[in-house]
Amino acid sequence: MASVLPRTVQGPPVPLRWPPEDNRIPREIFTDPDLFRWEMDAVFTGPVWVLVGHEAEIPQPGDYKTLSVGAVPVIVVRDAQGQVRVLVNACAHRGARLVEGPRGNVLKGGFRCIYHMWTYAPDGSLLGVSLPDDFPAEFRKEDYGLPQARVALYKGLIFASFHEGTPPLDTYLAELTEGLDRVLGDGRLRYLGSIKVIFRTNWKLYVENIYDGYHVTALHTGFQVVRLRSHGGQRLVPNYERNGHLWGQSRSTPREQLEPVLRDMTLFDVRTKPTTDHNMMVVFPSGVVTDYFDTLQLRYVLPLAVDQTLIEFTFFARADDPEEVVRHRVRQGPAVLGPAGAITLEDAAALERVQQSSVARGDNVVLKGTPKRFPPYRHVDEAPIRHFYQAYRRLIGVPVEEGSS
Amino acid sequence: MKATDSLATREQAARELLARYVRVVDDPDRIEEWPDLFADQAEYRVVTRENLEAGLPVCVVCDDTKDRIVDRVTVIREFWGAGGRLEDRHYNQVRPRHVVGPVWTEPQDDGTVRVLANFAVWGTPAGDFYPRLLAVGEYRDVVEFGPQGPRFRSKWVVLDTPVLQDVFVYPL
Repeated sequence: MASVLPRTVQGPPVPLRWPPEDNRIPREIFTDPDLFRWEMDAVFTGPVWVLVGHEAEIPQPGDYKTLSVGAVPVIVVRDAQGQVRVLVNACAHRGARLVEGPRGNVLKGGFRCIYHMWTYAPDGSLLGVSLPDDFPAEFRKEDYGLPQARVALYKGLIFASFHEGTPPLDTYLAELTEGLDRVLGDGRLRYLGSIKVIFRTNWKLYVENIYDGYHVTALHTGFQVVRLRSHGGQRLVPNYERNGHLWGQSRSTPREQLEPVLRDMTLFDVRTKPTTDHNMMVVFPSGVVTDYFDTLQLRYVLPLAVDQTLIEFTFFARADDPEEVVRHRVRQGPAVLGPAGAITLEDAAALERVQQSSVARGDNVVLKGTPKRFPPYRHVDEAPIRHFYQAYRRLIGVPVEEGSS
Repeated sequence: MKATDSLATREQAARELLARYVRVVDDPDRIEEWPDLFADQAEYRVVTRENLEAGLPVCVVCDDTKDRIVDRVTVIREFWGAGGRLEDRHYNQVRPRHVVGPVWTEPQDDGTVRVLANFAVWGTPAGDFYPRLLAVGEYRDVVEFGPQGPRFRSKWVVLDTPVLQDVFVYPL
């Protein structure tokens, strides 16, 4: 039984200055703690599908993992019948967090709250409470199940929504499903582990960075050092009139043509795909899906505070991969696209600098590719960032005015 | 130094290797010396306790050959460092500082010495006011003794926190 969480704030808490041009982004939105609180309600528990995992992370009945949907702590769990649920990680009685660890299995015993020993089944229903004598006569266990999000699956991807007005997942994803099909295949994956890191930046700066094709050659100098470039590609913005997802496509230089600057160039191998075509996708607002080189990766963007964002990088193999392919993926994935990765670390530095100087007020400006109004864009364009903010502004109640650009 | 040297000598040499390691990784000007601390067949891994205990193979850093250990310096200097011109580097300047101890040594039957030590790594950013605790955890190392003296056959950096507090440039 999906339930909608109660809200305390009904609109943007402070009047927001937003320039009329849709390629200008006011820096205050990266520093305002009141706006951050409003975003957690209006965006993350608004009419969106938030990527919270892949079924391969919780393959067995009772398997669970924890993360958050915006500010709401959740448990993603496979119940005894095999159905995936997203439960609020707080006891329905007095609100104590039910599970502390990142992952586990509760098929036997369920979720037991340490405070008053209320116990829930993996499907979120209340199984029992301790010493219920002298409870009000009308107390019924059925009324005290854990609040849960609506859940929808696509190729094993798990999406959660706390809003009753969210359109069906297929409608929401629109033509992004074509990109997800390319990366996920039949959807049967094997979970290899995750790496979590705190970026000292607002969550929007992290997400918009992926819409931005302009920074790639400028900031990620490792590409230049090995002479790896994009031989064509494009940046699509599926469903840009509503949700503004990102689907970046690029074809990179094959490994044998790269400058062998490293002793071990398998970092840039593409062994599991017929071509060196890569996909880099954002499922608005906070899910990242990519198949860069041989790396199958999902990222969950978890806002911690207005200037801190936890990024969880999760790595996968295909379910039928031979062990030597799994080993290759383990050696390549975090070494390229992880917090210690050869071409990812720079983003943390650049985004922290943007965050730190956002107190300077003024606007960040988006230029490259903007003479074109609508996708498709070139893979080197930053113009898709505009669509991210158009979707964001609709949700926080500051929509772009018609004819304002 | 040979494997036949006295236990006390080998254990002392293993401790000194760890001290030299700390001197090198805390000094951004000396990172080129870092691979020399490892044997020709060696591994350097940074893993979270979470993945390790769950039996999951993903590591934060998986330098499972000497080539990858040498490549790490190239990545720092060339990929991120824009060829070494400090002004052009593509990472934020954070001065690392390791605090290591106590160090526990266990001589092994094959002549190597196992070295276990707690560590905390602080980073002092050039662009911020406050030092940052980058990582807390435990070293699980194996030191071997060949013609070139004591060197790491393996160095496992096991992180207590499942969440890295920041990206890190220089080895932990």
